[in-house]
Amino acid sequence: MRYAVPENILRVDLSGQKLLKQELPDELARNYLGGRGANAKILWDELRAGVDPLSPFNILVFGIGPANGTIAPASGRYNVSAKSPLTGFFGDANSGGHWAAELRYAGYGNLIFYGRAEKPVYLWINDEEIEIRDASHLWGKDTWETEDIIIDELGDPEVKVACIGPAGENLVRCACVINEKTRAAGRTGMGAVMGSKNLKAIAVRGTSGVKVADPEGLFEFRKDANKLISTDLFYELYSKFGTPGLMTIYNEFGSQTHYNSKEGYVKEGVNLYGEIFTEKCVKHVSACFSCPLHCSSIYAIESGPYACVGESCEYENLTAYGTRCGNYDLESTVYASTLADKLGLDTISSGATIGFAMECWERGLITQKDTDGLIMEWGNRDAIIEALDRMAHRKGNFGNLLAEGTKRMSERIAGSENFAIHIKGLDTPAVDPRGMMAYGGLGYAVASRGGDHLRALAALGYSLPGKAKELFGSEEAADRFSIKYAAPVVKFHEEMRAVTDSLDICKYITRTALLLPDMIAKLINTLTGWGVNSSEVLRIGERIVNLERAFNLREGLTRKDDTQPKRMLKEPLKTGGAAGHVVNLEPMLDDYYKIRGWDVKTGFPTRSKLEELGLNEVVTELRKIGKLSEG
Amino acid sequence: MLRVDLDKCSGCRTCEMACSLAHAGEFNPLKSRIRVVRKKLHGVFIPVYCMQCTSLPCAKACPVGAISRDEDTWAVLINDEKCIRCGACAQACPFGAITYDPDTKDLIKCDLCGGDPKCAKQCIDGAIVLMPFEAVGVEKRLAHAKKTAASYLTDKKWVEVVP
Repeated sequence: MRYAVPENILRVDLSGQKLLKQELPDELARNYLGGRGANAKILWDELRAGVDPLSPFNILVFGIGPANGTIAPASGRYNVSAKSPLTGFFGDANSGGHWAAELRYAGYGNLIFYGRAEKPVYLWINDEEIEIRDASHLWGKDTWETEDIIIDELGDPEVKVACIGPAGENLVRCACVINEKTRAAGRTGMGAVMGSKNLKAIAVRGTSGVKVADPEGLFEFRKDANKLISTDLFYELYSKFGTPGLMTIYNEFGSQTHYNSKEGYVKEGVNLYGEIFTEKCVKHVSACFSCPLHCSSIYAIESGPYACVGESCEYENLTAYGTRCGNYDLESTVYASTLADKLGLDTISSGATIGFAMECWERGLITQKDTDGLIMEWGNRDAIIEALDRMAHRKGNFGNLLAEGTKRMSERIAGSENFAIHIKGLDTPAVDPRGMMAYGGLGYAVASRGGDHLRALAALGYSLPGKAKELFGSEEAADRFSIKYAAPVVKFHEEMRAVTDSLDICKYITRTALLLPDMIAKLINTLTGWGVNSSEVLRIGERIVNLERAFNLREGLTRKDDTQPKRMLKEPLKTGGAAGHVVNLEPMLDDYYKIRGWDVKTGFPTRSKLEELGLNEVVTELRKIGKLSEG
Repeated sequence: MLRVDLDKCSGCRTCEMACSLAHAGEFNPLKSRIRVVRKKLHGVFIPVYCMQCTSLPCAKACPVGAISRDEDTWAVLINDEKCIRCGACAQACPFGAITYDPDTKDLIKCDLCGGDPKCAKQCIDGAIVLMPFEAVGVEKRLAHAKKTAASYLTDKKWVEVVP
């Protein structure tokens, strides 16, 4: 008997309006677990290289894994993957809430979408019954209206909806997928891919149960996990203030993104600290499915021009529409974050693009003529909100320009390339890498989805120096400015993040509390009964990282793409706790390729590494296209 | 009896997982005897479960006398052997706390896990607690008293030196 692993995969041909249900293959689960790993494998096998990400030839995959729908801690996550319209490389985003559990109870591990529907549709999964339904009446609606209408017409309040807003419909490159109104699969433009397929939403209702191999073992695991999580260094911060609590830490570190990464510390940042946000806005604690950490909250601004209510205004959102744009006003920042959820925009990228436009304005590279009259001065809160709306609806010249994202904007605005803050086309997140070498300096540069902190989330070093010494042999591995141990630190964390993204559980409980591979092995074994050990856990992670690498190489990635924005390499921060620092990338990159078993000059994986990971079909294909190192 | 602190409930539904595992050997909200009603954007998460009422409306509605109280645990129990699956108890329950198991069609409700409720064990914030009848309200009385005392004692600096 197979335990925990979802029973089926569902293929949906949107062009031909055909459905195909198949049993989820054992080897897909064994080698890639599910979620992000299984999505990567499906895209590697089925997606033709070089296709336009917004054409019907792209393939969109939703994935969950063996942990979803169980008492495994924080098992409310899902991944959605496709070739990214922002980067042209592996696109992938992860979201929480309760949608993933509902999909698990319906019995599907992966949903794979091909082609493009002739007119807007949504998919309705009601256990065994699946229907492609007309969505013409939903087109143009925001994510909140869409969910309300769908739940109303299906007549069951337990239905969970993942959908796109106007941004996805209008193929805004950083459009995201929103489930349950406030949870975002944010990064790499998966909402735009969904829009390009005329797929407005996926509504799910599932009523079957999940059986696991060792129920009592899992019950005990969760009790132990609760203890570990609640005594973790960051429990108080996350459970009390949510991720906004990080604003305090990174601003004091001098490693916070301010003014499009011109500064790492700004005194007024204090207005956006987690303590202030919690005191002024938070109304009630809120959690994703089966999560002991509950870092989320229901917030509200009760009156005034920025009155709004929502869930989960994250640290990244306060950065995106706050510090990054020189806006230190809490209420307008929270309002913009809520608006982005409704419009279906990735907060990080949309905020970064607006921040970039503001620096272009400051330098006189764009004027009112280019912005259709909008005054893009630093901290102009109403301009930030208006820009979001224009971006999502591609309103006017400026809306269209913003919708293309930072990288493509910088290619059109002469002289702006040096301060276009993105890697591989994906805007970098809130933590300035100049103050966090392993976490940001190397971590962002090599992340398979571009400028991103969650591929590595190398938090062990600065959170638990003792553990860092044990794992990497020196306390220097915990020094946030040291580059000496960056490569092994990033590699280790990347392996573990790939595994948790594939199970699919949250990175925040595995951030440090449940990070170690023996804990995760125990979890996998109570769920599935496979009897894996910790080195096999790391191997699964390494396999996923290498497969995503191969995917990107096939799409044309070279060592030159594993880089940092010029500003991070050349301009030292001027003030704050990271003043004087730049990212010294090349030596870290050499080390990283070496320990990954990749060729140092080209970044191609070696045959021996791929064979060691059982990726023989990858060897064959990379060899065919001349991107295999025979070392 | 089980008591829930609504200020603490985050709506994570771990209780549903613990309950369905303990009673049905699988994870399935529909087999859980406790169900969290979530009105997320209203900031309201309400775990609904049997209150083990003193007046037993479910037992009164039962035509075959299948429902009775266990005096040791205070739990109101359904005797599956006697039960004819008519659902009269579910209709009589004012909380919607009695439901059908979708597979066995048994009527299911909270049995307090024989005095050791699994939901309370996994609730990390102690939003769900098993407590004796007479203890209900103790915490709230204390919190209320503390607040009142604080405002009453504002000018009385001498209390600060009381050990």
